Amino acid sequence: MAVAKTLTREADLPPPEMRFRIWRPGPALLLVPALAAIAAVSIYPVILGFWLSFRDTTLSSPKDTFIGLDNYQQLASDSQFWNAWIHTMEFTSASTLLETLVGLIIALILSQRFLGRGLVRAAMLVPWAIPTVVTSKMFGWLFDGQNGVVNYLLRSVGLIQENVNWYGSPDLALWTIVIADVWKTTPFMALLLLAGLQTIPHSLSEAALIDGANSWQRFWSVRLPLLAPTLLIAAMFRSLDAFRIFDLVYVLTGGGPADSTEVLSTLTYKNLFSALQFGYGSALSTAMFITEIFIALVFGIFILRKFKEAGQ
Amino acid sequence: MPKKLTDGVGKPDGTGMRRRDFIVASGAAVATAAVGALGLPTRLYAQTGRTEITFASPRFFSTDTTQQLVEAYNKSQNSVHVSYVELPPPSSSTEVHQQLVQQLARKTGSPDVFTQDIIWVAEFAAAGWALPLDSYFGADEMKAYLPGVVQACTWKGQLTAMPWFIDSGKLYYRTDILEKLGATVPETWDDLIETAKKGMGGDVRFGFIWQAKQAEILTCDLVSFVGSNGGSILGPDGKTVKIAEPEAKAAVQLMYDTIHKDKITPADVLTWDEEPSRRPFTAGQSVFLRNWSYVWSIAQDKTQSDVVGKVEVAPLPHFAGKKSAACLGGYQYGVNASTKNKEAAIDFLRWLSTPATQLHFATEQGFVPTRLSVFDEPELAKTQPFIQKLKNVSLGAIPRPVTPKYPQVTLILQSEVSRALVSGDVEGSLNKAKAQIEKIVGA
Repeated sequence: MAVAKTLTREADLPPPEMRFRIWRPGPALLLVPALAAIAAVSIYPVILGFWLSFRDTTLSSPKDTFIGLDNYQQLASDSQFWNAWIHTMEFTSASTLLETLVGLIIALILSQRFLGRGLVRAAMLVPWAIPTVVTSKMFGWLFDGQNGVVNYLLRSVGLIQENVNWYGSPDLALWTIVIADVWKTTPFMALLLLAGLQTIPHSLSEAALIDGANSWQRFWSVRLPLLAPTLLIAAMFRSLDAFRIFDLVYVLTGGGPADSTEVLSTLTYKNLFSALQFGYGSALSTAMFITEIFIALVFGIFILRKFKEAGQ
Repeated sequence: MPKKLTDGVGKPDGTGMRRRDFIVASGAAVATAAVGALGLPTRLYAQTGRTEITFASPRFFSTDTTQQLVEAYNKSQNSVHVSYVELPPPSSSTEVHQQLVQQLARKTGSPDVFTQDIIWVAEFAAAGWALPLDSYFGADEMKAYLPGVVQACTWKGQLTAMPWFIDSGKLYYRTDILEKLGATVPETWDDLIETAKKGMGGDVRFGFIWQAKQAEILTCDLVSFVGSNGGSILGPDGKTVKIAEPEAKAAVQLMYDTIHKDKITPADVLTWDEEPSRRPFTAGQSVFLRNWSYVWSIAQDKTQSDVVGKVEVAPLPHFAGKKSAACLGGYQYGVNASTKNKEAAIDFLRWLSTPATQLHFATEQGFVPTRLSVFDEPELAKTQPFIQKLKNVSLGAIPRPVTPKYPQVTLILQSEVSRALVSGDVEGSLNKAKAQIEKIVGA
């Protein structure tokens, strides 16, 4: 602050009433490419989707009429939509919760010093680095009803008597996808949480230890509150991502037996690209967008509160 | 004095190249190389003087002969050069459809020639994406093809697709097991269930495998079962919905019973499409299998099959008093309505439809030809004997519902039939399917 003040003497600046008139366009122009890119890639598709959702239009016919809120009325009474919505919410909450818990445990372990820690940290990232399609195929074979390794292991340990039909059973299929997603994305959460843990000064834990706190108290009362902002941000990223799950579901079950693994992305994809219903499909994607905004808002409120608490 | 190009880069004493200059110079070099590399092919093509057209086709299960075929055409004449654009394999039917639609809807003329699954002919024709071919291929010329396929390639009286090959569902069975039981090849579903139950045991874990994954294949299986009871999904006018008629309900009930009542089919079929269902059969674990023609060559291949020489093919069974029904599949050719090179495209199309090319596809890849004359070729009898044996099956195959709204209809069928197979509520699911389909095809 002091440096800036010495470099710009009050006498050199224009008089206060003139300062806002001397607006130079140069800096603003430099922002235009970035803003244009964001507008083209993010804002325009959302607006186009929103506009299309008020029309009755299909790709395969020249018909294109304005129908107002008809698509949304149809959406509200469409059992397939609500079915997919519920599955997506179930998947998002289960997946985010499990990944946060397991990721936190892994992060806590990795923040301790032990022999081979560097190697373990690197190996931990392998599931996240594998392309999702490969992961899907891999879990498809692992959980195969007839010849899968999971069934074999469970049977040899004695936990199940007969082969379990993991993907063919409507009750289990979604949970199998949750397991696959947890395996894949926990490293991402662990990494974010590890970074968050590194920012907590070690001296605080030491001080608590001197004061007689045991490990659980040190974690719960010292580290966790300080980790809370990072935890919330990581959870928000993860849940917004999990809400949009597509490739894992599409490759493994394609919507699953009896629509039991249908999620909003796959339903929207089928409506847009199989049925070519651009009007109704856009209403579906707008509904997805609104739900995601809602989720982001809820998280955002929590995060802002945490930051305010931390700022005090 | 700098000894290497990078010596002295960024050195604080000022000698050698400044880091900034080095970065600018390397960037310029890379950019020039990139532009040069991109520019080269187009300059080469401009020199050949041929008409350039593109041909988009999925990658089929067997060997890569489509690329070789395209090259053979390019070598055989001097006026047209065809570049082959590979689409996903036909088991990813939705992706092939999506890619074709995206390209055709842009109306840029690319791809000039494409292949369309027989179920999309009506949709592409109604959307105006396929060029009507009547002025190039007259009615007399079309008499040389199977009438059923020509009908499937026609929409509102116009020929919008050129027949390529057809495929239909077949019943594969284990000759050794049937011999041991002293059983004949089943002609009715009851016979099949009985033989399957007796044949199961030991290594043979399953009686009858088919496909019930919630995907296009489920609609194919549905059509076979429903057709084998004399029922159908849509009426001949393409608007009356008959999926909730008693014949269809009995057929879906049979599908459910094979899994849950007679237990000759594992519940895993609910997640199986073509390949996952083929594998247990060629591993010797099932008595019967319903699948497409491609399984035959795999079953005879020692490296992929444990049942070489023990497999035979027959028409699918039917309900008592009815006829066998196979689901008609297969890809057909089409010309892009917005193509800028009509003559070149039609020339390529003619070449693709010659008897010689069809025979090549039949012998190399087991594609059932659509030209009547090719069926009787002696070479075909040698390499693919069962194509001739099952000529009648292919001729009698039943198409899936012919309507431009087919993609929506099939999504509804897949969803409701899958629910019926899981919950057992055949009545409720099929009634719901009927209500939804009626809204779509709208009488």
